[in-house]
Amino acid sequence: MEIQWSLVLFTAVAGCGTWASVGVAVDELRGLTERTNRLASAVALVLAVVGGIASVTHLSHPDRIMAVLGHPTPGIFLEALLIGLFILAEVVYLILLARGVSAGVRKAVAVAAAVIGVVFSFASGYSYMMEARPTWNTIALPFGYLGFAAASGLALYLLLAALKKERDEALKLAGIETVVGGVLAIASGLAFGFASGAAMGDSAAVFWVSLACGGVVPAVCGWLACSKPASTLALGVVAFAGGIAGSVAFRAVMWMVGTAVANYFGIAL
Amino acid sequence: MAHNCIVVNLDRCTGCYSCEITCKMENDVALGEYWNKMLQRGPFGEYPNMVRYPLPTMCQQCADAPCVHVCPTGASYRDGNNVVLIDREKCIGCKYCMMACPYGVRDWNKASQTVEKCTLCGHLTANGELPACVKSCSAGARFYGDLDDPNSDVSQELAKYDEADIHELPNVGNNPCTKYIMTSMHGEWMEGVE
Repeated sequence: MEIQWSLVLFTAVAGCGTWASVGVAVDELRGLTERTNRLASAVALVLAVVGGIASVTHLSHPDRIMAVLGHPTPGIFLEALLIGLFILAEVVYLILLARGVSAGVRKAVAVAAAVIGVVFSFASGYSYMMEARPTWNTIALPFGYLGFAAASGLALYLLLAALKKERDEALKLAGIETVVGGVLAIASGLAFGFASGAAMGDSAAVFWVSLACGGVVPAVCGWLACSKPASTLALGVVAFAGGIAGSVAFRAVMWMVGTAVANYFGIAL
Repeated sequence: MAHNCIVVNLDRCTGCYSCEITCKMENDVALGEYWNKMLQRGPFGEYPNMVRYPLPTMCQQCADAPCVHVCPTGASYRDGNNVVLIDREKCIGCKYCMMACPYGVRDWNKASQTVEKCTLCGHLTANGELPACVKSCSAGARFYGDLDDPNSDVSQELAKYDEADIHELPNVGNNPCTKYIMTSMHGEWMEGVE
Protein backbone atom coordinates (compact mmCIF):
# COMPACT_ATOMS: atom_id res chain seq x y z
CA MET A 1 0.00 0.00 0.00
CA GLU A 2 1.33 3.44 -0.89
CA ILE A 3 2.29 5.75 1.93
CA GLN A 4 -0.16 8.63 2.20
CA TRP A 5 2.29 11.34 3.18
CA SER A 6 -0.35 14.01 3.76
CA LEU A 7 -1.95 11.85 6.42
CA VAL A 8 1.42 10.80 7.84
CA LEU A 9 2.46 14.43 8.28
CA PHE A 10 -0.96 15.42 9.62
CA THR A 11 -0.90 12.97 12.49
CA ALA A 12 2.84 13.22 13.18
CA VAL A 13 3.04 17.03 13.17
CA ALA A 14 -0.27 17.73 14.88
CA GLY A 15 0.33 14.90 17.38
CA CYS A 16 3.73 16.38 18.25
CA GLY A 17 2.08 19.73 18.89
CA THR A 18 -0.73 18.34 21.02
CA TRP A 19 1.73 16.46 23.22
CA ALA A 20 3.92 19.56 23.63
CA SER A 21 0.83 20.98 25.33
CA VAL A 22 1.00 18.10 27.81
CA GLY A 23 4.40 19.45 28.86
CA VAL A 24 2.77 22.85 29.33
CA ALA A 25 -0.07 21.40 31.42
CA VAL A 26 2.28 19.40 33.65
CA ASP A 27 4.34 22.48 34.25
CA GLU A 28 1.27 24.61 34.95
CA LEU A 29 0.47 22.14 37.73
CA ARG A 30 4.06 22.04 39.05
CA GLY A 31 4.92 25.69 38.43
CA LEU A 32 8.59 25.16 37.63
CA THR A 33 9.22 26.81 34.28
CA GLU A 34 8.92 30.55 33.87
CA ARG A 35 9.32 31.27 30.20
CA THR A 36 8.73 28.10 28.21
CA ASN A 37 4.96 27.73 28.33
CA ARG A 38 4.19 30.72 26.13
CA LEU A 39 6.63 29.56 23.45
CA ALA A 40 5.60 25.88 23.74
CA SER A 41 1.91 26.77 23.41
CA ALA A 42 2.56 28.99 20.40
CA VAL A 43 4.60 26.22 18.77
CA ALA A 44 1.90 23.64 19.60
CA LEU A 45 -0.70 25.92 18.02
CA VAL A 46 1.39 26.35 14.86
CA LEU A 47 2.00 22.57 14.61
CA ALA A 48 -1.71 21.83 14.99
CA VAL A 49 -2.56 24.28 12.23
CA VAL A 50 0.22 23.00 9.95
CA GLY A 51 -0.91 19.42 10.60
CA GLY A 52 -4.49 20.35 9.79
CA ILE A 53 -3.40 21.95 6.53
CA ALA A 54 -1.37 18.84 5.67
CA SER A 55 -4.50 16.71 6.09
CA VAL A 56 -6.45 18.94 3.71
CA THR A 57 -3.83 18.39 1.00
CA HIS A 58 -4.90 14.74 1.00
CA LEU A 59 -8.34 15.70 -0.29
CA SER A 60 -9.21 16.18 -3.95
CA HIS A 61 -12.26 18.31 -3.12
CA PRO A 62 -11.54 20.27 0.07
CA ASP A 63 -14.19 22.75 -1.04
CA ARG A 64 -16.81 20.20 0.05
CA ILE A 65 -15.29 19.69 3.51
CA MET A 66 -18.10 21.42 5.39
CA ALA A 67 -20.33 18.43 4.68
CA VAL A 68 -18.27 16.63 7.35
CA LEU A 69 -20.15 18.64 9.97
CA GLY A 70 -23.36 16.85 9.05
CA HIS A 71 -21.94 13.38 9.72
CA PRO A 72 -20.60 13.13 13.26
CA THR A 73 -19.93 9.39 13.48
CA PRO A 74 -16.92 8.75 11.16
CA GLY A 75 -13.38 9.14 12.51
CA ILE A 76 -12.58 12.14 10.32
CA PHE A 77 -15.28 14.18 12.06
CA LEU A 78 -13.84 13.34 15.48
CA GLU A 79 -10.30 14.22 14.38
CA ALA A 80 -11.45 17.53 12.88
CA LEU A 81 -13.47 18.34 15.99
CA LEU A 82 -10.61 17.55 18.36
CA ILE A 83 -7.96 19.46 16.41
CA GLY A 84 -10.36 22.43 16.21
CA LEU A 85 -11.01 22.33 19.95
CA PHE A 86 -7.30 21.99 20.63
CA ILE A 87 -6.48 25.06 18.52
CA LEU A 88 -9.21 27.00 20.31
CA ALA A 89 -7.92 25.95 23.74
CA GLU A 90 -4.36 26.96 22.83
CA VAL A 91 -5.52 30.36 21.61
CA VAL A 92 -7.45 30.90 24.84
CA TYR A 93 -4.44 29.80 26.89
CA LEU A 94 -2.13 32.22 25.08
CA ILE A 95 -4.63 35.06 25.66
CA LEU A 96 -4.78 34.17 29.35
CA LEU A 97 -0.98 34.24 29.53
CA ALA A 98 -0.81 37.58 27.75
CA ARG A 99 -3.38 39.11 30.08
CA GLY A 100 -1.83 37.66 33.22
CA VAL A 101 -5.03 35.93 34.29
CA SER A 102 -5.08 33.98 37.57
CA ALA A 103 -3.11 30.74 37.73
CA GLY A 104 -6.22 28.66 38.48
CA VAL A 105 -7.95 29.53 35.20
CA ARG A 106 -4.70 29.10 33.31
CA LYS A 107 -4.17 25.65 34.77
CA ALA A 108 -7.70 24.58 33.90
CA VAL A 109 -7.34 25.67 30.26
CA ALA A 110 -3.85 24.14 29.94
CA VAL A 111 -5.08 20.82 31.31
CA ALA A 112 -8.14 20.91 29.04
CA ALA A 113 -5.91 21.53 26.01
CA ALA A 114 -3.64 18.66 27.03
CA VAL A 115 -6.53 16.24 27.51
CA ILE A 116 -7.98 17.16 24.11
CA GLY A 117 -4.52 16.77 22.61
CA VAL A 118 -3.97 13.32 24.09
CA VAL A 119 -7.39 12.15 22.91
CA PHE A 120 -6.66 13.55 19.45
CA SER A 121 -3.40 11.63 19.18
CA PHE A 122 -5.26 8.41 20.03
CA ALA A 123 -8.27 9.18 17.80
CA SER A 124 -6.07 9.90 14.78
CA GLY A 125 -4.90 6.28 14.92
CA TYR A 126 -8.26 4.85 15.94
CA SER A 127 -9.76 6.02 12.63
CA TYR A 128 -7.66 3.41 10.84
CA MET A 129 -8.98 0.44 12.80
CA MET A 130 -11.10 -1.35 10.19
CA GLU A 131 -11.90 -4.99 9.51
CA ALA A 132 -10.86 -4.58 5.88
CA ARG A 133 -7.24 -4.06 6.96
CA PRO A 134 -6.41 -6.86 9.41
CA THR A 135 -2.94 -5.47 10.19
CA TRP A 136 -4.48 -2.17 11.27
CA ASN A 137 -7.34 -3.66 13.19
CA THR A 138 -5.59 -3.75 16.55
CA ILE A 139 -5.92 -1.38 19.50
CA ALA A 140 -2.11 -1.23 19.50
CA LEU A 141 -2.33 1.04 16.43
CA PRO A 142 -4.01 4.05 18.09
CA PHE A 143 -1.83 3.51 21.15
CA GLY A 144 1.17 3.62 18.79
CA TYR A 145 -0.04 6.91 17.34
CA LEU A 146 -0.39 8.21 20.90
CA GLY A 147 2.97 6.85 22.04
CA PHE A 148 5.06 8.28 19.23
CA ALA A 149 3.24 11.62 19.45
CA ALA A 150 4.04 11.64 23.18
CA ALA A 151 7.74 11.02 22.58
CA SER A 152 8.09 13.68 19.88
CA GLY A 153 5.91 16.27 21.66
CA LEU A 154 7.52 15.93 25.06
CA ALA A 155 10.99 15.94 23.47
CA LEU A 156 9.98 19.19 21.77
CA TYR A 157 8.98 20.61 25.15
CA LEU A 158 12.37 19.58 26.56
CA LEU A 159 14.12 21.36 23.69
CA LEU A 160 12.06 24.53 24.15
CA ALA A 161 12.70 24.52 27.90
CA ALA A 162 16.43 24.28 27.20
CA LEU A 163 16.22 27.08 24.64
CA LYS A 164 14.53 29.27 27.24
CA LYS A 165 17.27 28.41 29.75
CA GLU A 166 14.91 27.18 32.45
CA ARG A 167 16.18 26.19 35.90
CA ASP A 168 17.77 22.75 36.36
CA GLU A 169 14.76 21.53 38.32
CA ALA A 170 12.44 22.39 35.44
CA LEU A 171 14.75 20.79 32.91
CA LYS A 172 14.89 17.61 35.00
CA LEU A 173 11.09 17.44 35.03
CA ALA A 174 10.99 17.93 31.27
CA GLY A 175 13.63 15.20 30.98
CA ILE A 176 11.50 12.79 32.99
CA GLU A 177 8.49 13.60 30.81
CA THR A 178 10.58 12.86 27.73
CA VAL A 179 11.60 9.50 29.21
CA VAL A 180 7.92 8.71 29.78
CA GLY A 181 7.13 9.68 26.18
CA GLY A 182 9.94 7.49 24.87
CA VAL A 183 8.80 4.52 26.95
CA LEU A 184 5.22 4.99 25.71
CA ALA A 185 6.50 4.96 22.11
CA ILE A 186 8.62 1.84 22.71
CA ALA A 187 5.81 -0.09 24.44
CA SER A 188 3.05 0.87 22.01
CA GLY A 189 5.35 0.52 19.01
CA LEU A 190 6.38 -3.00 20.00
CA ALA A 191 2.75 -3.95 20.60
CA PHE A 192 1.77 -2.79 17.10
CA GLY A 193 4.88 -4.26 15.51
CA PHE A 194 4.13 -7.75 16.75
CA ALA A 195 0.33 -7.53 16.47
CA SER A 196 0.53 -6.43 12.83
CA GLY A 197 3.62 -8.39 11.84
CA ALA A 198 5.47 -5.18 10.92
CA ALA A 199 8.31 -6.17 13.25
CA MET A 200 9.15 -9.24 11.17
CA GLY A 201 7.99 -8.60 7.61
CA ASP A 202 9.26 -6.60 4.63
CA SER A 203 8.83 -3.36 6.57
CA ALA A 204 10.82 -4.59 9.57
CA ALA A 205 13.84 -2.36 8.90
CA VAL A 206 11.73 0.82 8.82
CA PHE A 207 9.78 -0.39 11.85
CA TRP A 208 12.87 -0.92 13.98
CA VAL A 209 14.33 2.42 12.84
CA SER A 210 11.07 4.08 13.92
CA LEU A 211 11.30 2.43 17.31
CA ALA A 212 14.96 3.37 17.78
CA CYS A 213 14.52 6.98 16.63
CA GLY A 214 11.05 7.61 18.00
CA GLY A 215 11.29 5.72 21.29
CA VAL A 216 14.83 4.87 22.38
CA VAL A 217 16.46 8.18 21.39
CA PRO A 218 13.99 10.41 23.30
CA ALA A 219 14.04 8.07 26.29
CA VAL A 220 17.84 8.04 26.50
CA CYS A 221 18.16 11.78 25.88
CA GLY A 222 15.51 12.51 28.50
CA TRP A 223 17.33 10.30 30.98
CA LEU A 224 20.65 12.03 30.28
CA ALA A 225 18.98 15.45 30.59
CA CYS A 226 17.91 14.52 34.13
CA SER A 227 21.49 13.80 35.15
CA LYS A 228 23.21 16.51 33.05
CA PRO A 229 20.91 19.54 32.81
CA ALA A 230 23.78 21.59 31.38
CA SER A 231 23.66 19.49 28.19
CA THR A 232 19.89 19.68 27.80
CA LEU A 233 19.92 21.85 24.70
CA ALA A 234 21.95 19.38 22.66
CA LEU A 235 20.03 16.45 24.13
CA GLY A 236 16.73 18.19 23.37
CA VAL A 237 17.71 18.70 19.74
CA VAL A 238 18.63 15.02 19.37
CA ALA A 239 15.53 13.84 21.26
CA PHE A 240 13.19 15.96 19.15
CA ALA A 241 14.86 15.06 15.85
CA GLY A 242 14.68 11.37 16.75
CA GLY A 243 11.15 11.68 18.09
CA ILE A 244 9.63 13.34 15.05
CA ALA A 245 11.58 11.15 12.60
CA GLY A 246 10.44 8.04 14.47
CA SER A 247 6.86 9.28 14.58
CA VAL A 248 6.85 9.81 10.81
CA ALA A 249 8.50 6.42 10.23
CA PHE A 250 5.99 4.61 12.48
CA ARG A 251 3.10 6.05 10.51
CA ALA A 252 4.81 5.19 7.23
CA VAL A 253 5.16 1.59 8.43
CA MET A 254 1.42 1.49 9.09
CA TRP A 255 0.78 2.26 5.42
CA MET A 256 3.44 -0.17 4.24
CA VAL A 257 1.78 -3.09 6.05
CA GLY A 258 -1.82 -1.99 5.38
CA THR A 259 -2.85 -4.81 3.09
CA ALA A 260 -6.59 -5.24 2.55
CA VAL A 261 -8.46 -8.54 2.80
CA ALA A 262 -8.46 -8.36 -1.01
CA ASN A 263 -7.68 -5.81 -3.68
CA TYR A 264 -9.57 -7.22 -6.64
CA PHE A 265 -9.37 -4.09 -8.77
CA GLY A 266 -5.65 -3.70 -8.00
CA ILE A 267 -6.00 0.04 -7.40
CA ALA A 268 -3.18 1.65 -5.40
CA LEU A 269 -4.54 4.25 -3.03
CA MET B 1 -36.03 -3.74 3.37
CA ALA B 2 -34.83 -4.93 -0.03
CA HIS B 3 -31.38 -6.43 -0.54
CA ASN B 4 -30.83 -5.93 -4.26
CA CYS B 5 -27.70 -7.59 -5.56
CA ILE B 6 -26.09 -9.64 -8.27
CA VAL B 7 -25.86 -13.43 -8.14
CA VAL B 8 -23.27 -15.07 -10.38
CA ASN B 9 -23.58 -18.69 -11.33
CA LEU B 10 -19.96 -19.72 -11.88
CA ASP B 11 -21.08 -23.09 -13.22
CA ARG B 12 -22.32 -21.14 -16.23
CA CYS B 13 -19.77 -18.32 -16.39
CA THR B 14 -17.34 -18.69 -19.29
CA GLY B 15 -15.12 -15.78 -18.29
CA CYS B 16 -15.85 -13.98 -21.54
CA TYR B 17 -15.46 -10.49 -20.04
CA SER B 18 -18.70 -9.24 -21.57
CA CYS B 19 -19.93 -8.10 -18.13
CA GLU B 20 -16.79 -6.01 -17.65
CA ILE B 21 -16.93 -4.51 -21.13
CA THR B 22 -20.67 -3.79 -21.07
CA CYS B 23 -20.32 -2.14 -17.68
CA LYS B 24 -17.63 0.15 -19.06
CA MET B 25 -19.77 1.05 -22.07
CA GLU B 26 -22.98 1.59 -20.12
CA ASN B 27 -21.39 3.66 -17.35
CA ASP B 28 -18.62 5.36 -19.32
CA VAL B 29 -15.86 3.87 -17.17
CA ALA B 30 -12.44 5.03 -18.38
CA LEU B 31 -9.62 2.83 -19.58
CA GLY B 32 -7.75 1.35 -16.62
CA GLU B 33 -10.69 1.96 -14.29
CA TYR B 34 -13.31 -0.59 -13.25
CA TRP B 35 -16.73 -0.90 -11.70
CA ASN B 36 -16.79 -4.58 -12.61
CA LYS B 37 -13.67 -6.65 -13.15
CA MET B 38 -13.27 -10.21 -14.34
CA LEU B 39 -10.54 -12.09 -12.48
CA GLN B 40 -9.18 -15.58 -12.88
CA ARG B 41 -8.79 -17.60 -9.69
CA GLY B 42 -6.22 -20.34 -9.68
CA PRO B 43 -4.96 -22.63 -10.93
CA PHE B 44 -5.09 -24.46 -7.60
CA GLY B 45 -4.21 -28.04 -6.75
CA GLU B 46 -1.79 -30.46 -8.34
CA TYR B 47 -1.85 -31.85 -11.85
CA PRO B 48 -4.07 -33.47 -13.03
CA ASN B 49 -6.57 -32.34 -10.36
CA MET B 50 -6.39 -28.62 -10.90
CA VAL B 51 -9.03 -25.94 -10.58
CA ARG B 52 -9.26 -22.57 -12.24
CA TYR B 53 -12.37 -20.46 -12.53
CA PRO B 54 -13.41 -16.95 -13.55
CA LEU B 55 -14.48 -14.59 -10.77
CA PRO B 56 -16.34 -11.44 -11.78
CA THR B 57 -15.97 -8.86 -9.01
CA MET B 58 -17.85 -5.68 -8.24
CA CYS B 59 -19.40 -3.91 -5.24
CA GLN B 60 -20.85 -6.68 -3.10
CA GLN B 61 -23.67 -4.52 -1.69
CA CYS B 62 -22.68 -5.43 1.89
CA ALA B 63 -25.47 -5.51 4.44
CA ASP B 64 -23.11 -3.84 6.93
CA ALA B 65 -21.23 -1.71 4.43
CA PRO B 66 -18.05 -0.32 6.05
CA CYS B 67 -17.71 2.24 3.24
CA VAL B 68 -20.95 3.89 4.36
CA HIS B 69 -19.87 3.87 8.02
CA VAL B 70 -16.53 5.63 7.41
CA CYS B 71 -17.60 8.20 4.81
CA PRO B 72 -17.26 11.60 6.49
CA THR B 73 -19.66 13.49 4.21
CA GLY B 74 -22.42 11.01 3.51
CA ALA B 75 -21.22 10.67 -0.09
CA SER B 76 -21.38 6.89 0.37
CA TYR B 77 -24.94 6.15 1.30
CA ARG B 78 -27.90 3.80 0.92
CA ASP B 79 -30.73 4.93 -1.28
CA GLY B 80 -34.42 4.26 -0.70
CA ASN B 81 -34.02 0.77 -2.12
CA ASN B 82 -31.17 -0.02 0.30
CA VAL B 83 -28.58 0.06 -2.51
CA VAL B 84 -25.10 1.31 -1.54
CA LEU B 85 -24.30 4.25 -3.81
CA ILE B 86 -21.93 7.22 -4.06
CA ASP B 87 -22.99 10.83 -4.49
CA ARG B 88 -20.09 12.24 -6.50
CA GLU B 89 -21.08 15.78 -5.65
CA LYS B 90 -20.44 15.10 -1.96
CA CYS B 91 -17.21 13.09 -2.32
CA ILE B 92 -14.17 14.96 -0.94
CA GLY B 93 -11.72 12.34 -2.20
CA CYS B 94 -10.44 11.23 1.22
CA LYS B 95 -10.46 7.60 0.04
CA TYR B 96 -11.45 6.28 3.47
CA CYS B 97 -14.16 4.22 1.81
CA MET B 98 -11.54 2.62 -0.44
CA MET B 99 -9.47 1.75 2.63
CA ALA B 100 -12.52 0.34 4.40
CA CYS B 101 -13.73 -1.80 1.50
CA PRO B 102 -12.50 -5.36 2.19
CA TYR B 103 -12.41 -6.20 -1.52
CA GLY B 104 -10.89 -3.15 -3.18
CA VAL B 105 -13.83 -2.89 -5.56
CA ARG B 106 -14.19 0.89 -5.43
CA ASP B 107 -12.79 2.86 -8.31
CA TRP B 108 -10.88 6.15 -8.31
CA ASN B 109 -12.10 8.31 -11.17
CA LYS B 110 -9.03 10.24 -12.23
CA ALA B 111 -11.05 12.76 -14.23
CA SER B 112 -13.52 13.76 -11.53
CA GLN B 113 -11.11 12.98 -8.64
CA THR B 114 -13.86 11.14 -6.82
CA VAL B 115 -14.62 7.56 -5.82
CA GLU B 116 -17.05 5.58 -7.95
CA LYS B 117 -18.36 2.05 -8.07
CA CYS B 118 -21.05 -0.29 -9.39
CA THR B 119 -24.49 1.28 -9.05
CA LEU B 120 -26.37 -1.89 -10.01
CA CYS B 121 -27.27 0.25 -13.04
CA GLY B 122 -29.91 2.09 -11.04
CA HIS B 123 -30.74 4.24 -14.08
CA LEU B 124 -31.82 1.05 -15.89
CA THR B 125 -33.44 -0.88 -13.04
CA ALA B 126 -35.55 2.16 -12.13
CA ASN B 127 -37.20 1.70 -15.53
CA GLY B 128 -37.73 -2.01 -15.10
CA GLU B 129 -34.64 -3.03 -17.06
CA LEU B 130 -31.82 -5.29 -15.93
CA PRO B 131 -28.30 -4.07 -15.10
CA ALA B 132 -26.15 -3.98 -18.24
CA CYS B 133 -23.88 -6.79 -17.06
CA VAL B 134 -26.86 -9.08 -16.43
CA LYS B 135 -28.54 -8.21 -19.71
CA SER B 136 -25.37 -8.82 -21.72
CA CYS B 137 -24.19 -12.01 -20.02
CA SER B 138 -23.85 -14.37 -22.95
CA ALA B 139 -23.85 -17.45 -20.70
CA GLY B 140 -26.90 -16.45 -18.66
CA ALA B 141 -24.74 -16.60 -15.55
CA ARG B 142 -25.71 -13.31 -13.94
CA PHE B 143 -28.93 -12.55 -12.07
CA TYR B 144 -30.27 -9.41 -10.48
CA GLY B 145 -32.93 -8.92 -7.87
CA ASP B 146 -33.95 -8.73 -4.23
CA LEU B 147 -32.60 -11.48 -2.01
CA ASP B 148 -35.56 -11.03 0.32
CA ASP B 149 -38.11 -11.57 -2.43
CA PRO B 150 -38.60 -15.31 -3.05
CA ASN B 151 -39.93 -14.57 -6.53
CA SER B 152 -36.92 -12.53 -7.65
CA ASP B 153 -34.49 -13.90 -10.22
CA VAL B 154 -31.69 -14.13 -7.64
CA SER B 155 -33.79 -15.99 -5.08
CA GLN B 156 -35.12 -18.41 -7.66
CA GLU B 157 -31.65 -19.15 -8.99
CA LEU B 158 -30.22 -19.64 -5.49
CA ALA B 159 -33.15 -21.91 -4.57
CA LYS B 160 -31.97 -24.43 -7.17
CA TYR B 161 -28.77 -25.16 -5.26
CA ASP B 162 -27.66 -26.56 -1.93
CA GLU B 163 -26.24 -24.14 0.60
CA ALA B 164 -22.85 -25.81 0.18
CA ASP B 165 -22.80 -24.64 -3.45
CA ILE B 166 -23.50 -20.99 -2.61
CA HIS B 167 -20.48 -18.89 -1.75
CA GLU B 168 -19.49 -15.34 -0.94
CA LEU B 169 -16.25 -13.36 -0.82
CA PRO B 170 -14.38 -13.36 2.53
CA ASN B 171 -16.72 -11.92 5.14
CA VAL B 172 -15.06 -9.82 7.84
CA GLY B 173 -18.32 -8.67 9.39
CA ASN B 174 -19.52 -6.71 6.34
CA ASN B 175 -21.94 -9.44 5.21
CA PRO B 176 -21.74 -9.21 1.42
CA CYS B 177 -25.07 -9.73 -0.34
CA THR B 178 -23.56 -10.87 -3.64
CA LYS B 179 -23.54 -14.66 -3.96
CA TYR B 180 -21.54 -16.94 -6.20
CA ILE B 181 -22.89 -20.34 -7.16
CA MET B 182 -20.36 -23.09 -7.82
CA THR B 183 -20.98 -26.80 -7.54
CA SER B 184 -18.34 -29.46 -7.01
CA MET B 185 -19.14 -30.73 -10.50
CA HIS B 186 -17.42 -27.71 -11.98
CA GLY B 187 -14.73 -27.01 -9.43
CA GLU B 188 -13.95 -26.23 -5.84
CA TRP B 189 -14.59 -22.76 -4.44
CA MET B 190 -11.38 -21.44 -2.92
CA GLU B 191 -11.86 -19.59 0.34
CA GLY B 192 -9.77 -16.50 1.00
CA VAL B 193 -7.79 -14.67 -1.63
CA GLU B 194 -4.67 -15.35 -3.63
